[in-house]
Amino acid sequence: MKIEAHGIRAELPAGWEGRLTRRTSGAATGRRRGGTTVVREETAPVLHMANFALPEGRGDFGSGAVDIMGTGHVLVVLVEYGADSVGTALFPTVSRVPRLTARMFSDRALQRVQRGQAGAQRFFTLKGRAFCLYTVVGDQRDAAPLARSTNDLTAQIQVTPR
Amino acid sequence: MTAVVVALALVVAVLTLLVLGLLRSHADILRRLHQLDGGSEGAAPAQGPRPVGRDEFTTFPEVAAPPEREGFTESRDLAGVGVDDDALTVRVTGVEHRTLVAFLSGTCLTCQRFWDAFQKPAKLGLPRDVRTVIVTKGPDQESPSAVADLAPSSLPVVMTNDAWMSYDVPGSPYFVLVDGRTGKVQGEGTGIDWPQVKGLLTQVTDDDSYAADLEARRVAKYRADDERERRVDDELLAAGIAPGDPSLFGPAVEAQGDTPDNPDSAAKPDGAVSPDSPVAPH
Repeated sequence: MKIEAHGIRAELPAGWEGRLTRRTSGAATGRRRGGTTVVREETAPVLHMANFALPEGRGDFGSGAVDIMGTGHVLVVLVEYGADSVGTALFPTVSRVPRLTARMFSDRALQRVQRGQAGAQRFFTLKGRAFCLYTVVGDQRDAAPLARSTNDLTAQIQVTPR
Repeated sequence: MTAVVVALALVVAVLTLLVLGLLRSHADILRRLHQLDGGSEGAAPAQGPRPVGRDEFTTFPEVAAPPEREGFTESRDLAGVGVDDDALTVRVTGVEHRTLVAFLSGTCLTCQRFWDAFQKPAKLGLPRDVRTVIVTKGPDQESPSAVADLAPSSLPVVMTNDAWMSYDVPGSPYFVLVDGRTGKVQGEGTGIDWPQVKGLLTQVTDDDSYAADLEARRVAKYRADDERERRVDDELLAAGIAPGDPSLFGPAVEAQGDTPDNPDSAAKPDGAVSPDSPVAPH
């Protein structure tokens, strides 16, 4: 099953589902022009993919979804950052979405610590766009097989230059 | 004298009818018990829930009839756009839970009751393993802003035309309950409000539970028989009685002593038994 929008395309294997939306507010900037304040809201795509039923009302980094994760579950989040991050030291330019290994998963990498869970983050620039790949596994003991599943999933993510 | 004979004949005739009736009733009971125990091939099908053919019922004039199909032939996962999400996919098959796919419209009056009911999913009274997904027509046929106003915040809403065709939906509102493990449609239909649809779904669940209960009872019986046979075989083999052993075919008077046909059956040092062994066939 394919999911595509905003220049990002992913092919979801059996058992996976996804949501591709725009980042919620946060980056709103106000600017006065004459007597009027012009509010410009910068939003960027956020892709959520999971091998379980994604709940509604999720945060960009999976809050709301990680609460219901169990053994064998994995949540993959791809968040795009602003143009000012492209090519910086934190976002090195790569030719494809970086791969994950089991050793990268740690409970300290979690945005929201949940017992038994582990997360991994990779920042990169792909096709002139800056991204963070954030992955959470429901049980740290499953990190090795789930990292392989995640790599299979992210290997076919295609990004179109802006 | 003639009157007595006639009276006796009548009594005998009545008693005969009674006996025949009792025998027939007894045969009925035995047949039903046999069916409950699994029955044999060729026997009449067991009573209980059964699929109802499309030609065995009709719907009210204003109620959309279900599609004339036996089942899905392809995957029925959902993909489209959402009111908040720019793209979303929802897995319906190949998952552990069941999915209630609710086909609604932002403009139909009857649908309004369901949009209202779905605002509070916890009060829908659905089993815990049922996930509700709302499907509307795609943005080219349905107003995204109207759907956004109606969409509940805690249920996924997929806007897609493909699902309406692939599910062969006759109109809105329409509901399809899919078992994610088998991919089969457990029930489908429509109603004028949520309690009515919920009643249909509850009936489906109850029927399935009843059928599963019957199935479990049959399996238990077979398993018990199988275990008993295995235990008997193990005990006989442990006693040295292999298949075809003469002792399995009843006591033989001639076999009390050594016979030319079975010279080894007298006494074996390893505990093998002779035909008069205390281990009897079960």
